[in-house]
Amino acid sequence: MPVKLSKKVCLLGDFAVGKTSLVRRFVHDLFDDKYITTIGVKVSRKTVVVPSASDVVELTMMLWDLAGCAEFDQVRASYLRGTAGAVLVCDVTRPETLDGLRSYVDDLLGVSGDAQFVVVANKIDLIEHQQIAPADVEAVVERWDVPFFLTSAKTGEEVQRLFRHLGRLLLFRG
Amino acid sequence: MGEAEDAPPRQKDPKLETLREILFSHYRQRIAELEAELDALERRVTDEDALIAMIAPVMGEAIRRKIRDAREEMIEALYPIIGQVVVRAVSEAIRDLVRTIDAQSRIALNPGTLLRRLRARLGGVSGGEMVLRESLPFHVAQVFLIHRETGLLLWHLSQDPAAAHDSDLISGMLTAIRDFVQDAFGQGEEGDLDEIQYGERRILIETAQRAYLAVVVEGIEPPGFRAEMRERIIQVDHTYEETLRHYDGDPAPLAPVGESLRALLKSARQPELSSAQKRLLAGSFITVFVCLLGMCLAAGWVWRAVRTTPTPTAVVLAPTSTPEPTLTPTLLPTPSATALPTATSRPTATTSPTPRPSPTVTATSSPTPIPTPTPAPVLGVMTGNVWLRLEPSADASRLGVILERGEPVEILAVWDNWCWVRWAPEVQSEVRGWVPVEWVGVTGAIPARIVTPTAGP
Repeated sequence: MPVKLSKKVCLLGDFAVGKTSLVRRFVHDLFDDKYITTIGVKVSRKTVVVPSASDVVELTMMLWDLAGCAEFDQVRASYLRGTAGAVLVCDVTRPETLDGLRSYVDDLLGVSGDAQFVVVANKIDLIEHQQIAPADVEAVVERWDVPFFLTSAKTGEEVQRLFRHLGRLLLFRG
Repeated sequence: MGEAEDAPPRQKDPKLETLREILFSHYRQRIAELEAELDALERRVTDEDALIAMIAPVMGEAIRRKIRDAREEMIEALYPIIGQVVVRAVSEAIRDLVRTIDAQSRIALNPGTLLRRLRARLGGVSGGEMVLRESLPFHVAQVFLIHRETGLLLWHLSQDPAAAHDSDLISGMLTAIRDFVQDAFGQGEEGDLDEIQYGERRILIETAQRAYLAVVVEGIEPPGFRAEMRERIIQVDHTYEETLRHYDGDPAPLAPVGESLRALLKSARQPELSSAQKRLLAGSFITVFVCLLGMCLAAGWVWRAVRTTPTPTAVVLAPTSTPEPTLTPTLLPTPSATALPTATSRPTATTSPTPRPSPTVTATSSPTPIPTPTPAPVLGVMTGNVWLRLEPSADASRLGVILERGEPVEILAVWDNWCWVRWAPEVQSEVRGWVPVEWVGVTGAIPARIVTPTAGP
């Protein structure tokens, strides 16, 4: 029987970078997306199985999809409390969203200094509109020494791998 | 200067080294000890648990001294916290009181009251508590134990097993809502969301330092339910302080709390009777039923004894109604009957139309010159408790005497279904009156001489 663990994971990023799309397609949803615009968050669930040295761990990530709008900046700190991991999302068609990740990382580490996180450059399916190269992302994440993924919530590319990798980070480095 | 700079380095003098060792060894040892102490101190400061263990006694003593020396100052400092707690407790007590009064005012006398009191007695609670419980519909649907900081579900109980599937999502959103309310309306003050209401369903929330309890209920919670919730969450918080402080997402160490929280579900249910109590209750019901049945039978028997079938109103005296003139003198065994010169002179026999005069009456009006031997009296025994009446009718006036079962009577005459009897409880007193013949027992047949004609007056 696998060991069962739960961890709190937050999704951070500017408005319309695709956080909710990542969640909507690949996790178990119960609540309507309207909660994101009303109270600034919606909670979903993603379970991944992570093999460990002695056993298999069934890790349930409780995903807090946080609103990217400025009006929820104040309450965001409360939502980040107790988070074990985070997915920071930017949009490859909007370079400013990559720069904006810095403040989210600061917020995250300011509240939960031990939190593990990965960076996601989303919407790679929009090739003709792409304004961020993988090297740009790499240059930004270098300072935090964290992995990054180029994903498409639309096609599902790299999304499963992203969550599995985050699961391993939470278990073995968290 | 130049020579000195060019001079080869001096060799270490063993003697000098020995001297140095002698002079400085003490200091070196002391430095090593201090370094070790410094390391230990650093470890204690960086280790949160060790730090708490180290400063807790000192802090406790410091607080005690401060309270003793600067009481007013401490009261002012603690008032925002203690005042809030007191206000909350008083508000809750008043709400409980209002609920109790409301419940009592709704209590009405009904057939279930007796049963309820009996159940309350058997259940070991007061009648008021039982009434209160039944008068306030209350149902606990779900119980959530949630980690306060992360919003992760620690334990969940539900009356409906299907509700467990998304309980972790609900606990997360509930935590988010609490955080949102605190940020939006807390205005920097300490406080917590106590309750969320939607229609008849409410979520009652009690918070401890590292976990909180959310109970989904329907109806009005009974007095003391909030206090019980608070006790449970504080108990969990204290018992699993270490686990909750460094919660890693594994709820397994918290498994024992399930039983403790289950009491909250049970406390909302109707108290169930044990098998012994059920047997006692059944026995009580049977006893009450038998008693009621006996009372009904007794009442019916008395009713039948008192009320008999109605009869004709006419009353005929035996002497005047006797068809055989020659036998007339002997029909009345009592001296009074024979002493009367005419039948109409007997006042007791003429309440209704005067009996027809017959030839025999005139024949017997004159005293019989020849004395005849008085026949033996016809004796009977009462077979029931019967009123003695003035006339042979159930509607006739009672003489104020009940002839009890077993009393010996003398049957003076029989008319229709009635007996005219003489009852002499003492030697010098007697009472005469009519009783239904069915309640008079005789050993043999009633002699025809005392049976009056059916024609009547």
